[in-house]
Amino acid sequence: MNRPKTDPTWRRLSIRVVWVDLARSILSLVPGIVAVVFVGTEFSPGVFWPLLTVAAWGLVGAFFDIVRWAFTRYRVTETEIERRTGVLTRRHRTVQRDRIRSVDLHAKLRHRIAGLRIVTIGAGQQSGAGESAFYLDALSVHDATVLRKELLDSTSHITADEAPPTVEVQPAASEPAHNEKLLATLRPWWVVYNMFSIWAYLTAAGLLWGLHWLLLMFNVNLYAFVSQLADWHSIGWFGTTVVALVVIGAIGAIGMGINFITSYWNFELAQVRTGDKTYLRTRRGLFSTREVNRDEARMRGMSIAEPLLWRWMGLADTNIITTGLSLWSMEQPTAILPRGPVKVAREVSAQVLGDPSPLTARLRRHPMAALRRRLWWATWIGLAPAVALIVPAATNTVPIWALWVALVALPVALLGAVISYRVLGHAVVGDYLVVRSGLMSRSTSALLRSSVSTIAVRQSILQRRLGLSTVSAMSAAGWGAYEAIDISSDEAVSLASQFAPRLVDEFTLASTKR
Amino acid sequence: MNSISRDGITSIRLPQLRVERRAVWWWLLRSLLSWGTVLAALLSVYAIWPGTRPWLVVPLVVTTLVLLAKIIVEPWWRYRVHRWEVSANATYATTGWVVREWRVAPTSRIQTVDAVRGPLEQLLGLSTLRVTTASSYGAIKINGLDHRIADEAVTRLAAVAELTEGDAT
Repeated sequence: MNRPKTDPTWRRLSIRVVWVDLARSILSLVPGIVAVVFVGTEFSPGVFWPLLTVAAWGLVGAFFDIVRWAFTRYRVTETEIERRTGVLTRRHRTVQRDRIRSVDLHAKLRHRIAGLRIVTIGAGQQSGAGESAFYLDALSVHDATVLRKELLDSTSHITADEAPPTVEVQPAASEPAHNEKLLATLRPWWVVYNMFSIWAYLTAAGLLWGLHWLLLMFNVNLYAFVSQLADWHSIGWFGTTVVALVVIGAIGAIGMGINFITSYWNFELAQVRTGDKTYLRTRRGLFSTREVNRDEARMRGMSIAEPLLWRWMGLADTNIITTGLSLWSMEQPTAILPRGPVKVAREVSAQVLGDPSPLTARLRRHPMAALRRRLWWATWIGLAPAVALIVPAATNTVPIWALWVALVALPVALLGAVISYRVLGHAVVGDYLVVRSGLMSRSTSALLRSSVSTIAVRQSILQRRLGLSTVSAMSAAGWGAYEAIDISSDEAVSLASQFAPRLVDEFTLASTKR
Repeated sequence: MNSISRDGITSIRLPQLRVERRAVWWWLLRSLLSWGTVLAALLSVYAIWPGTRPWLVVPLVVTTLVLLAKIIVEPWWRYRVHRWEVSANATYATTGWVVREWRVAPTSRIQTVDAVRGPLEQLLGLSTLRVTTASSYGAIKINGLDHRIADEAVTRLAAVAELTEGDAT
């Protein structure tokens, strides 16, 4: 096998991490110093504590980074990458190079200024288990680029010595052009898709809280200022709530929009071929940059989720189903597109999975009995709050009208039943098993048939009476289980033997009744 | 009674082996310990704080019914349903009572094979055979085996699974 030449000496992190921490600590004090020196605010701990906390945090961070820098070594050998770290608990971690699924470089603004990159190596962890990845925080841009080349480029003969010594701010831009195919780039109007969500309120709360403390240092009280803006008493509590919701929502939406633009600036998705491997690569970010390379050999499919409330505008989240990438990570390494139009998601899926995309295939509808099962459950769930209130209402612990309010849950639940029935679908398309389900988020997933490791067919008492079964295909990739919910029982075994023929056939019987 | 899906185009036959009769006691004791504790806790709250009584009537009735079902019906029902089989190519098992399920995992995808013995199982001389694949949901658990049979199955499966190359994902 054509292994790259590697440099088996132990290497270190970059000491610049520590300077970055110290610089951040000093910078965070700047607004405070400005306030004291130029505005003449009196220094009081009650006002300055958020700043002091940030500054102290920076110092503590610097201390730990010195320790970490002093005790961390890593090296790449012929077959594995190793890392030793820790002071009190020495950790020695070894990852087989052929198990590496992704090498991810990212940088926050402060790392970019200092020419640093954080390297995350995704290896064979179970994606559901939330295991920590192999993490190097941080290397100089040059070291990081060399490391990525060594790990991903199994045919290149680059070593630390031969690599160009120049330090690039954009390491990506000056790389030799491999066989690259651009699949998607950012359209600015996608920002609309990313402004409206419940998180807008959290964003607004964070923004307003930060603004409040900053202004407090300059002797401006934001709360008092807003109180004077209008005569809130005459508007009444209802009007005040509406105004607050609208204004805070708007602030949050704008904040989310700006956040989206800065984090997805220059976004591009490309298929990169280096040597004998193919990667799906995303790059993005204005201040913090992030580049993720996902090994296509580890890819087991793709899924498109369309949230219920935004389905009318065709909004979709696109994720690949792959092994070794955590679904729980805030950075969403499996997302290959930002939240955007479903049309683009489908086009990309056709280019990644093969044209025509299995995700746009016509799916088989599920039998009407599936709707009956949903209505049955919806009736009980809808009645449950009222039932729970019967005894308290009868003994006058709660007023009787609370019962009627609780009954509102019933029509909502029934509507949900109909919606979730209409979503159901399944098909076997080429090499893929395609399933669709989900009430709040309609999610269509295509899973590679050869990746199925366990098959389960489930039947509750009600399902048995209705002649329904749920077929699950378990896989190491993505969520771990993909289900065709409530298909007709007659079809269950034949579906299972369609997507995993060699496995089930041993236990199947030819039917006596046709 | 020969197959789960009675009149399918293809249907699946049941696994060949049944679990130990003693497993009935294991299921019974397990339910008694879990739901019995919940019922006891609810009853104590009911007895100690009179203010909570109106809220506790429905939960108490529901818990009692569940407990009764779990000690009178569940063990016997499960004993009828639970079956297992380990062939050269796959592990196959049926489980459940209210929700029945059959699972097949190919031997080539097996990651670990364990025989697990909890305190109740040790008391009854039972063992659970647990076969895991790379999927976090894909494990097959076969409860209520005699511990000697389970150990033997572990040895056999481990020997076969070792022959398969790759990382089994």
